[in-house]
Amino acid sequence: MNAPARPIPPAPGLFASAIRIFDLSLGQMLWSRRSVFLGLLLGGPVVLAVVLRIVDTLHASGFRVNGAAVNGGTVFGMMIWLLFIRFIVPVLGVFYGTSLIADEVEDKTITYLFTRPIPRSAVLLGKYIAYLVCTVLLVLPSVMLVFFLIVPTAGGSVAAAFPGLAADLGMLVVGLASYGAVFALVGTRLKRPLVAGLVFAFGWEPAVLLFPGYLKRLTVAYYMQALVTHEMPQDSSVSMLLQIFHEVPSVTVSLLALGAIVGVALWLAGRSVERREYVLEQ
Amino acid sequence: MSTKTRYFVIVSLLVLGVGFGTGLVAYYVGFPAGALASRGGPAELNFIPRDASVIAFANVQEIMASELRQKLHRALPMQENGQQELQAQTGINLETDVDTVVACLSPDTTGGGRGAGMVLARGRFDETKIEALMREHGAHVETYSGKRMVVADTSDSTQNDPNDSIRHRHAADVSLSFIEPGFAAIGSTRLIKAAIDLHKAGNNPQAGLESVTGNDDLMNLVRSLDSSNAWAVGRFDALRSQSHLPDNVLSQIPAITWFAASAHINGGLRGTLRADTRDDESANNLRDVVRGFLALAKMGAGAKPELQAVMQSLELSGTGKTVSLSFVVPAELFDVIGAAAGRVKPAAH
Repeated sequence: MNAPARPIPPAPGLFASAIRIFDLSLGQMLWSRRSVFLGLLLGGPVVLAVVLRIVDTLHASGFRVNGAAVNGGTVFGMMIWLLFIRFIVPVLGVFYGTSLIADEVEDKTITYLFTRPIPRSAVLLGKYIAYLVCTVLLVLPSVMLVFFLIVPTAGGSVAAAFPGLAADLGMLVVGLASYGAVFALVGTRLKRPLVAGLVFAFGWEPAVLLFPGYLKRLTVAYYMQALVTHEMPQDSSVSMLLQIFHEVPSVTVSLLALGAIVGVALWLAGRSVERREYVLEQ
Repeated sequence: MSTKTRYFVIVSLLVLGVGFGTGLVAYYVGFPAGALASRGGPAELNFIPRDASVIAFANVQEIMASELRQKLHRALPMQENGQQELQAQTGINLETDVDTVVACLSPDTTGGGRGAGMVLARGRFDETKIEALMREHGAHVETYSGKRMVVADTSDSTQNDPNDSIRHRHAADVSLSFIEPGFAAIGSTRLIKAAIDLHKAGNNPQAGLESVTGNDDLMNLVRSLDSSNAWAVGRFDALRSQSHLPDNVLSQIPAITWFAASAHINGGLRGTLRADTRDDESANNLRDVVRGFLALAKMGAGAKPELQAVMQSLELSGTGKTVSLSFVVPAELFDVIGAAAGRVKPAAH
């Protein structure tokens, strides 16, 4: 006697599929070779903070920037600007965002994902969420450690600086989300996404921010600046120029713009993944 | 999700959770003073309220043991009288019992025009003897936040205006409390109570309780001082208001906002005077004035070889709003002073 045919379960929706891809990708992302680079990148500020703390404890003469004494909160603000906003967040966005789909293509494993009964865009969305969770879980604890190592030194107050820390963490999450979405789009559209991403993050963005005009609105950094609670450091002539043309949108406008960047970039990236035919090189 | 990944997520969230928890506790409750901090300046600054306009420090042990003090002690022995009087009244031997002293001036919050002051001293004190002596002089004991406070009312009862008398009485209240064993606070009752609160609860800006370590302007000045064993920093207007100088004299003083004076006393005296002015123009004016005085002084010292070294050491510096004058008084000059004092003394008899 033949058993009755089992009904085929309906294909999972976009979000449910994305969560499955996220579950699969998070571990892969965390324990990949790229994680060594990520560890070094985020361990650097912590090591620097430990060194500064030791120096402060041994010498107890406080920190000096351009001859002026500054407290721990100011040094932390400078580290947020110079290490995290200008370097770590864009770098993580470039390296992880551009590789969301490109790595699967390079490893020739994209076929296994695309032959599943899930929307193709769910693959991108799941990987994007995995990127966001992975980087957030690494960057935020790093910032937290730096905060508690640096802020109490040289007259800084943890209590006074804490609201700023909460704003910094929120700003970093928004920054990682924005850069990740932009570079995910770059990764799905361009053949050499890493080069294009590096040019955008370290060529286009700093250059455009130096000049007055509307071009700076085509950068992520312009909207990120409005969310930073710390004073921009005057570490170089470039920073001085940046301060001269320092035009900052309101926090609401920035959040709306960054939200729009994330939404539009992910939608375009998803659309690209849905429509593009990936030819795997033999 | 693999076990390894799960552990990573848990550890990461734990770091964030502990950090947030600690930050929230600090934000709402405040840390006990010195829990995490190395803030620059002596630890006693944690017990001085944020609104202090002048703070000063002296490492009494170092100064008392210095070669310079020994020379002055030999040359001017009559200075011992004050020390003996203090010892008789409080049982405190300044030379052996006090290690460091931190003092502060705070603006008067009652609008009476007179500021309040406090001295925080670390050393070895006979608490019972000091308290008994103060009670003999009419002081009474109060308890505030679990700490004993000996309150001496030094107000002038001859005031005619009852309102003024109340105001004067408030300003003249002097209290003493041993905040920790070997750590005495003496001065205005209001400031002593604030010190006790800060010692108990630590910095908590949200509750309106914050030490001077949260006052960036003052602390930047404190940190700018080199390794000196005596210094004072503060708002210049606080000094002006206490100086009782005529208005026409006060109007001639340049627009100085902050001042700092530091000295390292050992064989000789090495010191720096620093003034921060309202703007660059005021700083330039002040530099011109000081340059003029220096030129006059150098001219005047030409005939006195013993002053040549001091004059050579005078150095005017500073950029922008800062004007700084450093100087060195060599030990030999104090020998000259000692010799001169020796010559003057017999004539006085």
